[in-house]
Amino acid sequence: MKNFKTILLLILVTSVLNRCTDHVDYEAIEGYQITSEIYFQQEADYDAALVGTYDVLQWLFFNIQLGAIASEISLCGGESATDYIGIQQIDDMTHYPENNVLRQIWQFLYEGVNRANYMEQNKANIDFEGKEAMYGEVYFLRAYYYFELVKFFGDVPLFTEARLTAGEAGTLTRTPKEEVYAQIELDLQNAIASLPNSQSQVGRVNKYTAYALLGKVLLYQDKFAEAASALDNVIGVYSLVSDYGSQFLRFGENGPESVFEIQYSNQSNWYDWGCAHCSEGNYAIIMNGPRGWSGPEYAQGWSFNVPTAEFYNSFEEGDTRRDATVLDIEAFAAATGASYTEGYDHTGYFNNKYIPRAGESGGQTELNYLTNFRIIRYSDVLLMAAEAYNRGGIDDGLAQEFLNQVRRRAFGGDDNDISASGTALTDAIWEERKFELSLEGHRFFDLVRTGRASSLITGFVEGKHEVFPIPQQEVDISGLTQNAGY
Amino acid sequence: MRKSILNFFIAFIAVSTGLQAQTISGSVTDSEDGQPLAGVNIVVQGQNQGAVSDFDGNFTIANFESGSTLVFSYVGYKTLNLKISSTDVISDNISVSMDKDLSELDEVIVIGYGSQKLSDISGAVSTVNADAIEASSPVRVEDALQGQASGINIISSGSPGSKPTVLIRGITSYAGNDPLVVIDGISATIDDLNSLNPSDVKSVNVLKDAALASIYGVKGGSGVIVITTKSGERNSETKFTLSTSVGTQEVVRTIDVLNASEYAAILNEASVNAGEGIVFPNISDFGVGTNWQDEVLVDAPIVNHSITASGGSENTSYYVSAGYTGQDGVIAGGEKSFFNRTNFTTNINTDLSEKTKLLINTNYSNIKGKSLAENGITSVLSNALNFDPTVSPFENGTFGISETITQEIVNPLAQIDNTYNENKVDKIQGKIELQHELMENLNITSRFGYTYVNIYDKGFVPFQFYGTGHNQTNANPDLSPIVTVDSEGNITSTHNRVFEGNTNFFNYTYELYGNYDFTIDEIHNFQTVAGFSIGEGKGGNISATNEDVPFNSWDYADVSAATGNATQQTSSSWQYVNRNLSYFGRILYDYDEKYYASFTGRVDGSTSFGKNNKFGFFPSASIGWVVSKEDFFDEVPVLDYLKFRASYGTLGNDNINPQFSLISTFPSYVFNGTITPGSSLGSIPNDDVSWENQVQMNVGIDTRIFNDKVSLSVDYFKKTVDDLLFSPNLSLYLGVPSYPTTNIGSTESTGIDATISLNTSVGDLSISSDLNFTTAQNEVISINNGDKYIWGAGYGIPYRNIVRFEEGFSPGYFFGYVTDGIFQTQDEVNNHATQNGAVPGDIRFVDINSDGIVNDSDRTQIGDPFPDFTIGWNLNLDYKAFDLSVFTYASVGNDIYRAYERNLNYTNRFASTLARWTGPGTSFDEPRVTFVDSNNNSRASDRYVEDGSYLRIKNIQLGYSFPDSLTEVWGFDEVRAYVQVKNALTLTEYSGYDPEISVGGVLNTGIDYGTYPQPRIWSMGVNIKF
Repeated sequence: MKNFKTILLLILVTSVLNRCTDHVDYEAIEGYQITSEIYFQQEADYDAALVGTYDVLQWLFFNIQLGAIASEISLCGGESATDYIGIQQIDDMTHYPENNVLRQIWQFLYEGVNRANYMEQNKANIDFEGKEAMYGEVYFLRAYYYFELVKFFGDVPLFTEARLTAGEAGTLTRTPKEEVYAQIELDLQNAIASLPNSQSQVGRVNKYTAYALLGKVLLYQDKFAEAASALDNVIGVYSLVSDYGSQFLRFGENGPESVFEIQYSNQSNWYDWGCAHCSEGNYAIIMNGPRGWSGPEYAQGWSFNVPTAEFYNSFEEGDTRRDATVLDIEAFAAATGASYTEGYDHTGYFNNKYIPRAGESGGQTELNYLTNFRIIRYSDVLLMAAEAYNRGGIDDGLAQEFLNQVRRRAFGGDDNDISASGTALTDAIWEERKFELSLEGHRFFDLVRTGRASSLITGFVEGKHEVFPIPQQEVDISGLTQNAGY
Repeated sequence: MRKSILNFFIAFIAVSTGLQAQTISGSVTDSEDGQPLAGVNIVVQGQNQGAVSDFDGNFTIANFESGSTLVFSYVGYKTLNLKISSTDVISDNISVSMDKDLSELDEVIVIGYGSQKLSDISGAVSTVNADAIEASSPVRVEDALQGQASGINIISSGSPGSKPTVLIRGITSYAGNDPLVVIDGISATIDDLNSLNPSDVKSVNVLKDAALASIYGVKGGSGVIVITTKSGERNSETKFTLSTSVGTQEVVRTIDVLNASEYAAILNEASVNAGEGIVFPNISDFGVGTNWQDEVLVDAPIVNHSITASGGSENTSYYVSAGYTGQDGVIAGGEKSFFNRTNFTTNINTDLSEKTKLLINTNYSNIKGKSLAENGITSVLSNALNFDPTVSPFENGTFGISETITQEIVNPLAQIDNTYNENKVDKIQGKIELQHELMENLNITSRFGYTYVNIYDKGFVPFQFYGTGHNQTNANPDLSPIVTVDSEGNITSTHNRVFEGNTNFFNYTYELYGNYDFTIDEIHNFQTVAGFSIGEGKGGNISATNEDVPFNSWDYADVSAATGNATQQTSSSWQYVNRNLSYFGRILYDYDEKYYASFTGRVDGSTSFGKNNKFGFFPSASIGWVVSKEDFFDEVPVLDYLKFRASYGTLGNDNINPQFSLISTFPSYVFNGTITPGSSLGSIPNDDVSWENQVQMNVGIDTRIFNDKVSLSVDYFKKTVDDLLFSPNLSLYLGVPSYPTTNIGSTESTGIDATISLNTSVGDLSISSDLNFTTAQNEVISINNGDKYIWGAGYGIPYRNIVRFEEGFSPGYFFGYVTDGIFQTQDEVNNHATQNGAVPGDIRFVDINSDGIVNDSDRTQIGDPFPDFTIGWNLNLDYKAFDLSVFTYASVGNDIYRAYERNLNYTNRFASTLARWTGPGTSFDEPRVTFVDSNNNSRASDRYVEDGSYLRIKNIQLGYSFPDSLTEVWGFDEVRAYVQVKNALTLTEYSGYDPEISVGGVLNTGIDYGTYPQPRIWSMGVNIKF
């Protein structure tokens, strides 16, 4: 009897132990998770990955904000001198490598690059109709992300083959920006070659979007002739809307003047403050609203990115763009009985292009504003073309024509046409960019690329502030060299 | 445990009574072996006479009056009271046998897959028995361990039922430092202790070193808390115990903030300093205004009831209990903040046959709770500290609002009123165990342990109004939704919202092991065990939200009742599973109870580990030497006992998740105005990831002196981890996927724990006291993650990082700027390193790296939240029917970071602001007030770091046991009534509510976000046995 029990027990133990060998194995399917090994096997996976590559565009709200705040036409504002200290420092030109906002910009842009590269690395897996055109969008997006990186940081690590792996952390060095620009141009040329003239879905880039961006990239390198010829392809494809201000309102989005817009929606009903950029809404919008607002049309915000009185007053008489661009809060409150509280750096003016408007958000109101960023408008294309023709010494007459198209829309007639030529015309074009494109994220970078930043921005040190510092964390982890002066 | 019932007999028959004084004599023996006991102290209760037994155990007392009581006391034995009611046969000898007191030296300790006499253990263990737990009557059992056992650090919060930080011997890991909890052999976690009724606990043993903990292998790296619950006695009548206590909790300290007129004056000055106008023209109108802390802090009740029944027949014993604990929050009271727990426990032990036992333990608990926002800028206390004191609590029947504060901070009473949530937990935990004696001394145990938990949560965000334009407002003043019409005529509206979630956990462990004890040549004693363990843990959650709750009412707050349409509803779910498989074995050896050795090993496999590292081996060994058993030791005076112990071994930590190259389907983008789902790579795997390998060394000494009246144990330990687990900070140019957890780093902890105990009696007064000392030094030796540190917690708006886990520093230390007084003049500003925005009256920050500019690179270590050492002191006095226990705890050297200031222009400030800088020489530590803080005076700096050392009388309990004459009339065996004060007195220099601060994690300790203070609790109770 005793022996029987012992044998029984031994059998039990042995059988259990034999069964156990795979007990501690685990596969992702147990958690209903999809792994990369089974991905990129069908066209739908590529579609989704492309959406994911576009997704990062929505995270770039600080890029646009800084284009204004870093320049002379707008102050940081906010609740106090320490609210979003990273932006306050950039406003004051006292920023240095430890800066959470710059770190975020850097990391987000590289996430965009990696998502595009991840598609590149899986490009050969399967074939399907329209794959080349799809990759046109991928290359456009990668070019856009790298262009932003070069604009902000100068020389940056360049990689195009595949998404980086953990083992590649710390192995890259900074590539000279000329080489990065060459890659951007190559990506855009490839995009142009494969993209269609138009897309069925609003929000997707087409061949002309790529030409417009290429023109901009070339202009940033002072390659005027090439820029002019790239931009020529876009001239006449789009048109200026007659009411300048209307294109910045909800119903003006993706209109005839829109070449490239970053798309947002108020439908995601996002609530998670821990990941503001995970919303499908535009997080920059709440930042620019008046504080403690009670009144019509607008909604309350955090009083960032406030235009200066000097800028407001510098608009020419009769320029319809002034009120579309800048909200005179005191006048508006007086007229409507609205009330608000003053934030830091209160100027009395608000960014009327990107401002919370009543009823345009959902879920957690701050996180879900639907307002698109107008990245490239046709008027920008005209002014870029004008600059290319003028500065390249190609055709000042054509440059005037492009410039005056923009001015006639602004002033409602040709009384304010410019007839200057040469460097006077250059100055006029640059001045026009300030008014036409203000608070849309161009100003600081325009001043830098045209060498005027140190004369206009208080605290701007030549040879240093043309680029932002490489984030300290990246210097520490990856051993990248720092930009001069930081 | 063999016998614990008082077991004595008196060998005479009483036939008559009388009051003559006579001589009484007798002998005293050990109840177990019948050997005579020499040196037993015998006194006649209440009289100044007595005797000491001689070498043969005999004694004689003259002039003894019948009806008196003899008290027999002897170290290591239970004190015995004997009432002699007849003197007729006093000429005959009485013989008395005394029971050994097993709670002391020879107590048998459960050490995991077996038990061992405390005196035989050569590892490091601390024990806390039921009496100590009962004396502190905690809501959670681990609270009773604070200061009661050396080597353990417990940092508690005052929030009802909340989990404390429990550290056994320092901090070694970034991935988690919670010790393993084993309840009656079933693996559990600290989180599971929320459902255990402390009065069901018989003993708690803390396994502190590798020799003891390595039987639990990879899970033992942070120590093991072994809990044994009560069981019944065989062959005993049913005994009932009834315990009940009621108490009231109060917050003793409040924080000095500005009153209304001070507030108005300071704000005027701040505004003027910023170049703006006066805010309040008429300061004197305000008076003292509203003290918001007084508005939200209330006295709240706490109650504890339990009833138990235990007993047994020849073949079966049982223990059945029911308990209820109810604790209301001192913030706002029980309507919105409470913790209620109901427990039912059944422990049954029965003989299926002569050689087979069946044990079934089942514990069901039900927990209900509601909570208010804690620990953060939006917590009730933060609002109470920061809200405008000029606002009245109520105005015209509604809550007072501030016109000037539009961010986060609100009237805390309105916040409390608008907070609706509930949490319900049902948990069933237990085991089914078979013990079979296969042959003599060979026992096989087959145990199935399980835990099932169901958690239901609900939350409701109603329409609320805190002022027009306030960012927490989502409704009009009349609580109707805010409706907006945009330029296109689209109508949108705000909504109220309800959330419901259901979470399940099911864990099981099956274990099969054999214990074989044998002796060779009568002096080589072996205790061996070998076995295996297989287990699985599963969890899952499903939750949903919807908008538009009818009537904006909590009564209708349910997803099923909410009327929101399909786009307003959201749902989500998650699930996980982990499995493990382990083999373990242990040999305990002693030579004649003089020389000891042990060898323990465990092989652990886990789904958590990478594909290439599925199994780890964790061995340990220990030795011990009882010097006092050597012949030469007989000559040593004073020292009664002396033992040396040493152990060495490895343990682990597997707080990681399985890793894969996962595709995230979270990304999406907007095409045609519609959200379009997309994908991206979400995580990068690491197939080589493995457990943290922890090497532990322990040396200890146990000694007893002065006839065993004083005992002392001292242990020194050193723990090193060289495969520290955490997610590295990889290059930012890799983008945002979650990076793989990797074994990259090392830590080292060293420390000393010591316990000194005193047991003696002076006449009728018996004294027992022990003092525990715990210290641990922790250091992060290396982190190979690129930038050598990881951020821990931070605080505030804007968010400021404050805690770091960094190479070369203590884990979780505070990091920030160092202040150097106040700039008195512009010259001082000019002469200092460039500090942007600084003007006279601002704080001067130290240019640590001397590069001529003050910026983030000048931050450094400014504090350490963990104490240099802690001391717990227990004093128990028994005098006749009275008993008194006092427990005092001290924590020395812990720093606290004050993080509860919102720093808006119109939020309130602290009373210290009154001593601000107003001109050269006016203040050297409190900066000027200004609406434009261009110097960022509020940056994270040592200005907010305070010494949090404290000494606290945690518990005073005074009890009275009613005499038998009364209890017999009442029909009870024993009745004891007591009064108790918990957290009676705290001595500290810290300025906040409570220097003991825990949010529940190593990297979030010591930051005072307006911590939920531990209340002082006055209570009274009664324990009845019948």
